[in-house]
Amino acid sequence: MRSAQQLLAGGPSHRGTITPAAWLAAPALLLFVLFFILPFGIMSVMSFLTGNPINAPDVALTTRHYVRFFNDDLYTEALWATLRIGFLTALAALLIGYPLAHWMARMHSRVGHALLLMAVIAPMLTGIVVRTFAWMTLLQDKGVINTTLIALGWTDRPLKLMYNEFGTTVALVHIYVPFMVLTLTGVIGRIDERLEQAARNLGASRLRAFLEVTLPLSLPGIVAGSLLVFALAISAYVTPFLMGGTEVLTLPMLIYQQVSSSFNLNFAGALGVVLLAVSLLVVIAYNQVLAHLAGERELR
Amino acid sequence: MRPRPIDAGNAAYLTLNTIVLGFLLAPLAIVAVFALNPTPYISFPPVGVSPRWFEKFFASTEFMNALWLSLRVAIIVLLLSTIIGAMCALALVRGHLPGATFLTAFFMSPLMLPAILTGLALFQVYLLAGIGRPVWGLVMGHTLIAVPYVLRTTLAVLHNFDTRIEEAAASLGASPARVFLEVTLPLIRPGVIAGGIFAFIVSFDQFPISLFLVLPKNETLPVVLFNYMKFDLDGAIAAASMVSIIMALGVVVLLEWLIGLRAYVKL
Repeated sequence: MRSAQQLLAGGPSHRGTITPAAWLAAPALLLFVLFFILPFGIMSVMSFLTGNPINAPDVALTTRHYVRFFNDDLYTEALWATLRIGFLTALAALLIGYPLAHWMARMHSRVGHALLLMAVIAPMLTGIVVRTFAWMTLLQDKGVINTTLIALGWTDRPLKLMYNEFGTTVALVHIYVPFMVLTLTGVIGRIDERLEQAARNLGASRLRAFLEVTLPLSLPGIVAGSLLVFALAISAYVTPFLMGGTEVLTLPMLIYQQVSSSFNLNFAGALGVVLLAVSLLVVIAYNQVLAHLAGERELR
Repeated sequence: MRPRPIDAGNAAYLTLNTIVLGFLLAPLAIVAVFALNPTPYISFPPVGVSPRWFEKFFASTEFMNALWLSLRVAIIVLLLSTIIGAMCALALVRGHLPGATFLTAFFMSPLMLPAILTGLALFQVYLLAGIGRPVWGLVMGHTLIAVPYVLRTTLAVLHNFDTRIEEAAASLGASPARVFLEVTLPLIRPGVIAGGIFAFIVSFDQFPISLFLVLPKNETLPVVLFNYMKFDLDGAIAAASMVSIIMALGVVVLLEWLIGLRAYVKL
């Protein structure tokens, strides 16, 4: 079987000129230029303008929106909160997702594997609003967890499980852990199980064989999965809004606030560009790891 | 496969994984409990079983209009993204395009770049272009997010595809159109169908882009749910949520039956 990159490059045997099939990319290219590149370009331009060029003829170039962002603690703190929540979500998703991914990758039973995949993908395909609602019913003061703890007499007053960064992160981990599991399963599945077996035959304990063989070999998956979850978590809006209450303010929340309440599209654009810059860095790193993985596959 | 001996390490491993599975699935199960519990507000433990909230959901014109809008948009997005995505996958694999690896990453990027920014950017463009917030504008935003799913599943099929089958058909005298219709299309069909199913559910559940692009009184179901949840948490939300959960479960079973979810895991 040829690898993805070979096929994408046209294969070693047919390297050469563009074929007529290339024209099939035209509709996608048109869609992406008109509804992706152009809008993001305009958003970036807007972030450097003093007003709306349609109804204000005297718009000028300015960097004041960025100055405002970086000089106000409210905004820089929102940036840090966004990054902090993204980092904690990625870390927790890794710790929770790794065992499940390992189990799935090493599951020999076809039915067992299919059932596990269904259990991972079904939550992933459930709406974000719906899953946030589920976590609100679990974590609120009169929610499932607090009611149960009080009924058991383990606590008198409800624990503050939501309307803070903790609740936000828990729900985000639930929402994005499937992406971690799927990324890791793909990578762990390609590690030859006999390597771990050989280490155990040589006297290593199961844990040591895992720590010294499988874990290091799955490092690209760990990095790719964490970057993916980080990128998704820093762009979340619904979950920090509903789970964070007044205690959590993230960049996506600020962006929507600027559009819906202040109607300051230029400042919203500047906030968008800051978030976009962070995301682009993450996406580039992610693609580097994927290219590394694809290159490894080609060597086999 | 040999049975593993039961030991402490293995027991801990299985217990840990059972807890993780519980973490993944319990929130979905709890929504079902609240959808059936008749108390006026979300309260635990449940006191009974009643269809009351489902009746409220299906009797509400606000919820029903939103459900129909979401379904209509999702079906159009399914059709558009399937055609655009499948064509694009063929071009990337067969077109001998320079920089095809970069182009693939580019077409996949809406999945990783913040959807809320796609919403903001489209909102700004539509505003500057003076076209407001038409439903087709929402459809294009959703299609942009859905195309990568179709692209991914179709590419996955194409990568396992032996081009010699097509060459054989061509050398036996089949025209390029006939080769495409009778050889290529049937072979890539499972990937395209799977992509279409993903596109449908991604559009149906899409929130951040819709938030910017829907008009008041003509909102999609996730936006209506979100606005309702800002003020009120009752069983009607749980009943409405069941639509999304049941659809996700249905899609998962359908995909497993059609192509096997395993195909989706491969990068």
